[in-house]
Amino acid sequence: MIISEFCMYCGECAGVCPRNLIEVGENTLKFGQKPCKNCQICIQVCPVSALEVEG
Amino acid sequence: MNMKLETIETDVLVIGAGPAGSTAAKHAAMGGAEVLLVDKKSEIGTPKRCAEGVSKNGLEKLGIKPSHRWIAAEMDRVRLVSPSGIDVWLNQENVHLPETGYNLERKVFDKHMAMDAARAGSQIMVKTLAKELTLKDDYVLVKAESMGNHIEIKSKIVIGADGPESRVGRWAGLKSTSKPKNMESGVQFEMVGVELEDTRAVEFYFGSVAPGGYAWIFPKGDDIANVGLGIINSMTSKNAYHHLLDFVRECKATQKAVSVEFNVGGIPVGGPLNEFVTDNVMLVGDAAGQVNPLTGGGIISGMQAGLIAGEVAANAINEGNCSLENLKEYETRWVEENSLSFQKYLKAKEYLLSLSNEELDSIARAFQGSDFERIGPMELLGKLVKVSPKAMVKLGKIF
Ligand SMILES: Cc1cc2nc3c(=O)[nH]c(=O)nc-3n(C[C@H](O)[C@H](O)[C@H](O)COP(=O)(O)OP(=O)(O)OC[C@H]3O[C@@H](n4cnc5c(N)ncnc54)[C@H](O)[C@@H]3O)c2cc1C
Repeated sequence: MIISEFCMYCGECAGVCPRNLIEVGENTLKFGQKPCKNCQICIQVCPVSALEVEG
Repeated sequence: MNMKLETIETDVLVIGAGPAGSTAAKHAAMGGAEVLLVDKKSEIGTPKRCAEGVSKNGLEKLGIKPSHRWIAAEMDRVRLVSPSGIDVWLNQENVHLPETGYNLERKVFDKHMAMDAARAGSQIMVKTLAKELTLKDDYVLVKAESMGNHIEIKSKIVIGADGPESRVGRWAGLKSTSKPKNMESGVQFEMVGVELEDTRAVEFYFGSVAPGGYAWIFPKGDDIANVGLGIINSMTSKNAYHHLLDFVRECKATQKAVSVEFNVGGIPVGGPLNEFVTDNVMLVGDAAGQVNPLTGGGIISGMQAGLIAGEVAANAINEGNCSLENLKEYETRWVEENSLSFQKYLKAKEYLLSLSNEELDSIARAFQGSDFERIGPMELLGKLVKVSPKAMVKLGKIF
């Protein structure tokens, strides 16, 4: 996942991730080890459109 | 607390120092338990994800004395605005208005709630992020990172107060993932130079300005206000931020306003989880979906949950039994106090979201200038059904 520098770390993506893969720190956003199924729900809910699939 | 280099042991670990978590920590500590409250933030309360409205009697019921340190302004009116700008005014004395009374300074409020927890005996670690949780036979092991140090926290009970991004519930096996249709995207500017009709009135704007939600102006004294909106993303092709830019451009009150802060956050509006307690783990606040599904307000209901969960946790520690069976009392008590009103709010929301801009306008027209002091609930419904017949089916039962 490409995370834009304007990500606000609000964590809405983490709350909806069906696989609970997203770790939101105070100023960090990390996608976990388990394979992401590319459902893109995180991309759809982002209030500022800060997420994008790679490639 | 028994502090070794890297393992901390405590009776109760509270993850998240928002209003729900700090209240839970306070009441668990007051009940005699050893409590540790952690938050990933370096400054509790900052940044805020909130329009900051709370009801006065909500705080009173929680035993919290109002303080000038964290009250920005007092509200006693509501202005409801239809898509074409027809407004309906409600007064606090005549109508029970949720989330109306005080507009807070959440950054200060949250910090003070955490201070109350500390005064009651809770330890607090800021800049500490919970990263993993494992249920063991009679304790919970949490791995966390605190200012670059990896630590382990062993506790008998974990209270997950980790907000809309909550992971604790799912780590513990609870079904707490929010469906995207139940997660509102909230965005807001705190603005100065807002030209308000009434500095003591919160304003709500309905219709296509905010698909799936509404837009709001919550005054904070003088010409300052939180101006924001919440949307359901699947109901619109624009993101929440762009809806907000449009709203601020069009709204009369914000023509000369300038923003000094931008806030973002998810609001779980699907109603409370079916289960928010399991062995050794309880969820409170947004993490448990304890948010008014109509208004998106979750401060008071989350704090109520924190109060009960804290008390139940302390009892369980005293009794030496932290199983689901013993913690379930928290869920039962919270549901008893809230489930009826939450069901009503859910119904009201479904109805509200079913209305087109034109329907909203004709309802506003019918109620403009109404004297709500004199209208009983049945008369209100009758008047509503005249302009919006489907209200009978959708709302009949809740009146
Ligand atoms: C735009 C917007 C406007 C709103 N307006 C209102 C309103 O006017 N009135 C109202 O009543 N409600 C409002 N709400 C809802 C309200 O803000 C929430 O219901 C309330 O903050 C919930 O409190 P909480 O303690 O459950 O969670 P939060 O206040 O979200 O606190 C959760 C805490 O947990 C911490 N945390 C999360 N994960 C971890 C982790 N892994 N490790 C350590 N710490 C962690 C976070 O840093 C945070 O401090 C609004 C929400 C939004 C987004």
